[in-house]
Amino acid sequence: MNNKIGRRDFIKLAAVGTAVTTVTIAAKGNPLAEGEATSPYRWAMVIDQAKCVGCGKCSLACQAHNDTREDAPWNRMIELEPLNGEPVYAPVPCMHCENAPCVDICPVGATYHRADGIVMMDYEKCIGCRYCQLACPYGSRTFNWDTHTGANSAVPEWGEPEVERRPRGVAEKCTFCFHRIDRGLAEGLMPGIDRQATPACVAACPVGARIFGDLNDPNSPVSVALAKYPSVQLRQELGTSPRVFYLPARREETEESA
Amino acid sequence: MTQKINLHRAVFPVWVILLVLLMVVALAAAVHVFINGLVVTNLTDLVPWGLWIGIDLSAIALSAGAFSLSAAVYLLGWKQLQPVARTAVFIGFLGYSMAMLCLLMDIGRPDRFWHAVAFWNIHSPLWEVTMCVMLYFTVLVLEVAPIFGDASWFKARWPKLSHRLHNIHKFAPALAIAGLCFSLLHQSSLGATYGVLKARPIWYKPSLAVLFIVSAVIGGLALTVLASKVAALLSEKANVREEVLNKVSQAIGWMLFGYLYLRFWDTLGMEYTLEPGRTEGLHLLTSGALSFNFWVGELLLGILVPAVILVSARLRRQPRLHLLALLLVVGGLVAYRWDTNIVGQMVAFSYLPTQIEPLYTTYSPSLVEVLVGLGVIAYGLLAFTLGVRYLGIVDHSTLPEAAVEPVLATPLPSPTD
Repeated sequence: MNNKIGRRDFIKLAAVGTAVTTVTIAAKGNPLAEGEATSPYRWAMVIDQAKCVGCGKCSLACQAHNDTREDAPWNRMIELEPLNGEPVYAPVPCMHCENAPCVDICPVGATYHRADGIVMMDYEKCIGCRYCQLACPYGSRTFNWDTHTGANSAVPEWGEPEVERRPRGVAEKCTFCFHRIDRGLAEGLMPGIDRQATPACVAACPVGARIFGDLNDPNSPVSVALAKYPSVQLRQELGTSPRVFYLPARREETEESA
Repeated sequence: MTQKINLHRAVFPVWVILLVLLMVVALAAAVHVFINGLVVTNLTDLVPWGLWIGIDLSAIALSAGAFSLSAAVYLLGWKQLQPVARTAVFIGFLGYSMAMLCLLMDIGRPDRFWHAVAFWNIHSPLWEVTMCVMLYFTVLVLEVAPIFGDASWFKARWPKLSHRLHNIHKFAPALAIAGLCFSLLHQSSLGATYGVLKARPIWYKPSLAVLFIVSAVIGGLALTVLASKVAALLSEKANVREEVLNKVSQAIGWMLFGYLYLRFWDTLGMEYTLEPGRTEGLHLLTSGALSFNFWVGELLLGILVPAVILVSARLRRQPRLHLLALLLVVGGLVAYRWDTNIVGQMVAFSYLPTQIEPLYTTYSPSLVEVLVGLGVIAYGLLAFTLGVRYLGIVDHSTLPEAAVEPVLATPLPSPTD
């Protein structure tokens, strides 16, 4: 007797549960769809390894402008195997993936896509579970294990902080200097062309190895560079579709400079 | 019997004092963490999930006896298991509260623990786990409420409240269904939490979800039987029906063989591909730093040896061997959860085209992490000990010889009620 009630209850409850879940999800909408709200821009960065000399000024400018910790940079400078005896460098910021694993898995949606494709962090939402650190294939995320105090060694030589320090207990990463982009656009400047509207690392590069711009504009610096040279994205096979492109160190360039 | 009582009386206060001390120390350690931040742990940006996550995963998995046995009693109608399910539900209640304590310690912003309820990302397995854990804990609270209501001291002191709590038992079948749904969801998606991460090739596979729930059911049943038997051995307030527990143990034995089969193909399947990150991770398990844990802790002692003991009626009849086998199953589950969590983090992903060698990391918990962990475990043990003594959570005496009608701690109301 009890048995039958149990089974009926099960079916009823399962049906009600499915209905409630479906309705709730339908009502809430697909959170990823928010990233597809319209923006005329698709920001991207190109890093030309043929030009990069590994001076690290991009990292210093980033540390100053974004007020990051020295030991947890948003832009890492990695030295790779030399090519034709010439050193090769790979500066690694956040890839701002179009299919970002961190955005998919953040339990509270604290990391999300802006309409222009920038992967943002909401420091007010983040609960500090660090799941995004495990999910990021590029090691681009750092966690505030303690409160960030003390002076910033890159200030004032490499710039002044333009954003607040993040509180203890939340994750952070490169933001493509969205504040510079937004402020620049508001002033009628074009990111990638006008220094003040361009990410600090790009503006600071003394050899023009970093290029920034709008993929939607065929005449933007990034579109031109990507049309001219073959490019790679890191771990393309994962399907993350990064918005950071690398122009590999080219034989002819190293020969030219030699 | 007198011997048992004497032993119990001598050991009980020492045991309780020890556990309380561990909890006090853990509380101090927790305050230290809350004041100074997670910097006092040995966690890093490369290994952000450590001992507390290990305890959290183990506690949730070992609580799976609650939903499994509740489903067996109220859905399959295996009424003779009712008192065992009662024990399992109490253990589940403790396990989930332990897990939530650990999580609260582990997240960087414990003040925002409620964000998962307010801000949904339905694509995140971790969001689903969090919601299910909270909802299932609510179910467990309701399932445990009648146990409190029915305790004689509770009845004497708060008769009205006792009656109300007792009446919640009417909903036992519905609660069992809800518990089954929530558990099937989050026990497996805890595996999927790791399984969906492309960045960690050793984790990136659909089998983790299946293995997590299968191992949880087995481990949860084993802990329930183990705790019941140990309680009956040490406390005069506990009594068990060996023949009932024996059946559960036998079932655990057979399930272990099925589980071994799944683990075999899971591991072998990975060996046949050479994939950066995954292959290195697999080698850590089979021949590297985690190989003892893997071969001995997880497979030999965690699955094979207890499977043989629990399946064989002759071996199972020896009380010590039977207890040992159950303990090994629990240990094997903890080893599996520990290894799974840590192995994906010990091989840092190589994302640069010319970097072929992955970066290897190490992790061992700091003293603070260990002290907090011990305190959380001590809380579970203390609560169980007190539950045995004051709530009669291991009590099979209500079970008649042949249970024809459902025999509950409180009878179900007749349809005319």
